[in-house]
Amino acid sequence: MIHDSLIRERLVTGDKTAADVTRDIARPILNQPTKSWKIGFTLSLIFLGIFGISLFNTIWTGIGVWNINKTVMWGWDITNFVFWVGIGHAGTLISAVLLLFRQKWRMSINRSAEAMTIFAVVCAAMFPVFHMGRVWVGYWALPLPNAFGSLWVNFNSPLLWDVFAISTYFSVSLLFWYIGLIPDIATIRDKVKTKTAKFWYGFFSMGWTGSTRTWARYELISLILAGLSTPLVLSVHTIVSTDFATSIVPGWHTTIFPPYFVAGAIFSGFGMVATLLVVARKVMNYENYITIGHLEAMTKIIMVTGSIVGIAYLTEFFIAWYSGVEYEQYAFINRATGPYWWAYWSMMSCNLLAPQVFWFKWARTTPWFIFIMSIVVNVGMWFERFVIIVTSLHRDYLPSSWVMYSGSLTEIGLFLGTFGIFFTCFFLFAKYMPVINMAEVKSILRNRE
Amino acid sequence: MGILDKKLSLRNRSKMLVGIWEDEDKLVEATSALVHDGVHIHDIYTPYPVHGLERIIGARRSRLARVAFLCGLTGFILMTTMIWYMYVLDWPVNVGNKPVRFTPSWIPVMFEGTVLCTAYGMGFFFFWRNRLLLGVKNDLLDDRQTDDRMVIAIECVEGMNESDVLNTMKSNGAVELRELNHGVQTTI
Repeated sequence: MIHDSLIRERLVTGDKTAADVTRDIARPILNQPTKSWKIGFTLSLIFLGIFGISLFNTIWTGIGVWNINKTVMWGWDITNFVFWVGIGHAGTLISAVLLLFRQKWRMSINRSAEAMTIFAVVCAAMFPVFHMGRVWVGYWALPLPNAFGSLWVNFNSPLLWDVFAISTYFSVSLLFWYIGLIPDIATIRDKVKTKTAKFWYGFFSMGWTGSTRTWARYELISLILAGLSTPLVLSVHTIVSTDFATSIVPGWHTTIFPPYFVAGAIFSGFGMVATLLVVARKVMNYENYITIGHLEAMTKIIMVTGSIVGIAYLTEFFIAWYSGVEYEQYAFINRATGPYWWAYWSMMSCNLLAPQVFWFKWARTTPWFIFIMSIVVNVGMWFERFVIIVTSLHRDYLPSSWVMYSGSLTEIGLFLGTFGIFFTCFFLFAKYMPVINMAEVKSILRNRE
Repeated sequence: MGILDKKLSLRNRSKMLVGIWEDEDKLVEATSALVHDGVHIHDIYTPYPVHGLERIIGARRSRLARVAFLCGLTGFILMTTMIWYMYVLDWPVNVGNKPVRFTPSWIPVMFEGTVLCTAYGMGFFFFWRNRLLLGVKNDLLDDRQTDDRMVIAIECVEGMNESDVLNTMKSNGAVELRELNHGVQTTI
């Protein structure tokens, strides 16, 4: 028996009707851009420009303009790659895993999280691609017959697994996102007034009418895609972790990496979702759709995954000692007390200690505080990748090869520039597409049980 | 039959009765009442998924899950064959003189390929089965059916008592009733 719940708190507040949902969420699309959108978009374009200049310098001069060397051959580039891939994982987690668990609160945030996934994966892909140096032969990473005889790619290499994993992840996320968007694009198609807008929204809505049979298949495909995406998201970050774990570098050669990386990805992804949504709900007046309840649910996930990551940090240290391998022991002592101690302790304080504040309800329900904490999480997770990569590489087995490393201006520019790519895409998305899944939100207005 | 078959278009139907609702519960009640009266409902259009409607109108259970399995199987076979051809048959790689055969290191690529084929095969089937194609013109019965209104479309067939059908719709909460003749709608 279906009835309105008397106990559960409403997921959408303000007694909204279906027409209100369309009006509120389509407002930014149907109206002229606001001042805050223009300022944000301009800033994003400036950062995009920084990316363009840094990329030009990298391609024109060669990756010698980066400070990486034969000892620290992965620096800011792979740090940034793992950072962005991690961020990209929350989108699928919110869409897929929470859908499988029937968590209806996901419906207000899944669209923007999925968009974030796609833009973050684009940013991530930039780094390994341009780290190749000769980017014009990047297609050699694909299993194609080549001009030099039948030499194929190496299926034993996690770097090749990465090529398959990231491209599959991107493609499947894009499909998931687009299928979810079709009903909402159709709603916008039937609301816009100009001929050009009618044409484009009509083109991408694929003739959607909202037929009952189509909805039934839509729900089924969403469920199956969620079932596929869940192991996919776990596999992708597991594979990213094997880029490190299958090597013999002290600090990398550990079996804890896959679960530890997956938890870290969810943690950083939710950090970025919180950063975006705390701002978006205020600027776009979506407080009735992305409620304090939504923010609280996200902070709880941040706290849990932050604690998992924290336990992984401590376990790594314990296992290094327990293994009796002196190289392993030195790698960890060096992380905490060596020349990069500041990075290690930034990581520990941002990822392990800071999220513990979410045990307090005030911290979980105060938007400005959640925003600050989400930035702290993002900073902490960048440092985690920096610590894993640079502190392990800069001092390994051969002391004569030990060096120090810091990013060059071009490397820093590329990293800042990816924020330009990310936010430019996000601002365009917020202007032309509904940031909240209107169709799904309409189905939960009555708080049915 | 095809994705662009004009016979399927609502614009070309000879005569249809169209009822409009604004309340989900009343729509479900009306649908049940119509089906109970033996009326064949052509389709129902809603701005969001209303659960159970497809069962009431007797829509066949979707075969998407089976298609997904077959696409997955195809992807799995394709990827396994690809790796075997490249890695065992065409250019066996000597790693420490170990025999060249299946190893767990094949699994990630096999898995990703399987997922990719399943998702895109199923996606293609979904678009094809629902006649969704980039640029296809939509057949809307009401401008607000993607916003806040729900529409029941009934095709008039011989022997159907139209006034009874209209009365059932009206008594079950229809806010508006219309007749559709070759793409032209008139309010009743």
